[in-house]
Amino acid sequence: MSTATKEPGLWNAIRELPSNVWSSAFRNPLPSTDLERASTSFTNFFLHIHPVKVNRHTLRPAYTLGLGLISTFLFVILVVTGVLLMFYYVPSTTQAYDRMLDLRGTVAFGIFLRNMHRWSAHGMVAMVFLHMCRVFLTGAYKKPREFNWVIGVGLFLVTLFLSFTGYLLPWDQLAFWAITVGTSIAGYAPLIGKQIQFVLLGDTSVGQEALLRFYVLHVAVLPAVLVLLMGVHFWRIRKDGGLSRPEPPAKTPEAGIVTMKKVYGMQGFVRGPFTKLGNTPDDSVFSWPNLLMAELFVLVLTVSVILVLSLAFNAPLEQPVNVMHPPNPAKAPWYFLGLQEMVSYSAFWGGVGVPGILVALLLLAPYLDRKPGGVGRWFARERLLANTLFLTLVVLNLIFVVIGTFFRGPNWTFVSPF
Amino acid sequence: MTAVNSENANLPRRRLLAWLSSVGLAGSAVLAVLSDLIFFKPRVTYGQPALFQIGKPEEFPPGTRIAREAERICIVREGNKIAAISTTCTHLGCSVAISDTGFACPCHGSRYDQDGAVTGGPAPKPLPWFKVSLAPNGEIEVDKNAPVDPGTYLIV
Ligand code: HEM
Ligand code: FES
Repeated sequence: MSTATKEPGLWNAIRELPSNVWSSAFRNPLPSTDLERASTSFTNFFLHIHPVKVNRHTLRPAYTLGLGLISTFLFVILVVTGVLLMFYYVPSTTQAYDRMLDLRGTVAFGIFLRNMHRWSAHGMVAMVFLHMCRVFLTGAYKKPREFNWVIGVGLFLVTLFLSFTGYLLPWDQLAFWAITVGTSIAGYAPLIGKQIQFVLLGDTSVGQEALLRFYVLHVAVLPAVLVLLMGVHFWRIRKDGGLSRPEPPAKTPEAGIVTMKKVYGMQGFVRGPFTKLGNTPDDSVFSWPNLLMAELFVLVLTVSVILVLSLAFNAPLEQPVNVMHPPNPAKAPWYFLGLQEMVSYSAFWGGVGVPGILVALLLLAPYLDRKPGGVGRWFARERLLANTLFLTLVVLNLIFVVIGTFFRGPNWTFVSPF
Repeated sequence: MTAVNSENANLPRRRLLAWLSSVGLAGSAVLAVLSDLIFFKPRVTYGQPALFQIGKPEEFPPGTRIAREAERICIVREGNKIAAISTTCTHLGCSVAISDTGFACPCHGSRYDQDGAVTGGPAPKPLPWFKVSLAPNGEIEVDKNAPVDPGTYLIV
């Protein structure tokens, strides 16, 4: 029992309480040596997503443009503001629109939250798309990163579907008709199109059932899928040997490319180029503080831009749903206007055929283009053909988006915006 | 590697177990997906019913051409003939409006003539006609589940 002669008394326990609580939560002081910097990735739950060291190339803003990070942080903003909005929103055809008005009129900061949610959602679609362009144009989808590209295509599609399901929730004219048109496109899929449409809507036309289904997809199912895919995405970045970078210039023999015969603990499982072993000269820096600071900077930048946008511009809200009178013209959200423009020529090709082929091409890209060269640089000369093809498709789609957005008036007739 | 006898003796049994559990897992995955599909396809719907009555023939005098917006049909009466034409655009489901020449869709500009045949725009099919009958209580009954050939009228 009384073995401890110097057992701390109650008074001491109280006196040392704050520092003891603190040091039990944060086991290590802020790092001041390389060993301590390295161990941040091991000891801190939130930091252990980082490798101990990252290649300098990874940190160059001009390489990644921070686009993947920005997408991640926009998603965080969307989750936080979305959960707050859920406290006041009701997914009912009789109440949803009134709740939108309440967010404007009575809920404290309601309009601000709605603005943040809306602008982050638009931003995320744009940033994820640009991130995909950056990965393609730097050849970063090549071996061993093929599968992470495939995960990425999944992330892109889920992001689009998330924003599509969210579009219906305000239950205003814009929402109702955009979803009517959008789900009818699904009806053009061969054989099972009508079934898909019926299951998606829970009825033959957009109504209470569709609102409820879209709500559940929007606030529970799709975010969960996105989080899961993001987890795999980040994990694969680490396991694929960090971010893509150019082949290092041939080193002198003593610098030593490490062979897999000599395995240093867990590093034996890491594929791809090792960052550093022993005293070989290398080009990497500690994640703490280099990577962490870069991430914090992007976070602050993202949040600031969204805050400023949300102060300056209000998210639109049209008239409440009027099943009898579609607005003229009825337009989908801007990122689907390219599709809608194509749909106005042929519903099957614009809505199902062309998008299906494009998604298949995206998924297959890393397996079709397997030449190893040109990874880690923008617009590498070796990749001229692939990059040109990709950019052509991107520009074509953008042209359709611009036509659909600015050049289409009542009855979808051609109008000049000038 | 030296093989331990007792381990080897266990191998067939372990293989059988592994095989059985794989089949079990795969089987339940298939069943789960199938039952989810069935679950998500509603057996009842709560929206606009497909079979409904719209009123007595006298309420639609000859020459009538009115859109019933909630039910998304247009009631046409010519002389003693009555018909119901869908006002859901066959392109992507917007409500078409009655125009001078027939019907016009505001969404992507499809146009139809008086009988619902396509005269322009991306609509792939004519507007369907629905079965119209006289219910025992004397009201006109429309069945949106029963499309009929264009030009099929109820004589009253
Ligand atoms: C929700 C959407 C997404 C998020 C949050 C996300 C996040 C990230 C992050 C944080 C990185 C680290 C590097 C960087 O910032 O560029 C990254 C890299 C990567 N992403 Fe994504 N991403 C998303 C969608 C996509 C898409 C649509 C693709 C392609 C179809 C993709 C393919 C890749 C690949 C291949 C890498 C490795 C790049 C390299 O090694 O240089 N990701 N992603
Ligand atoms: S929905 Fe009528 S023209 Fe497209």
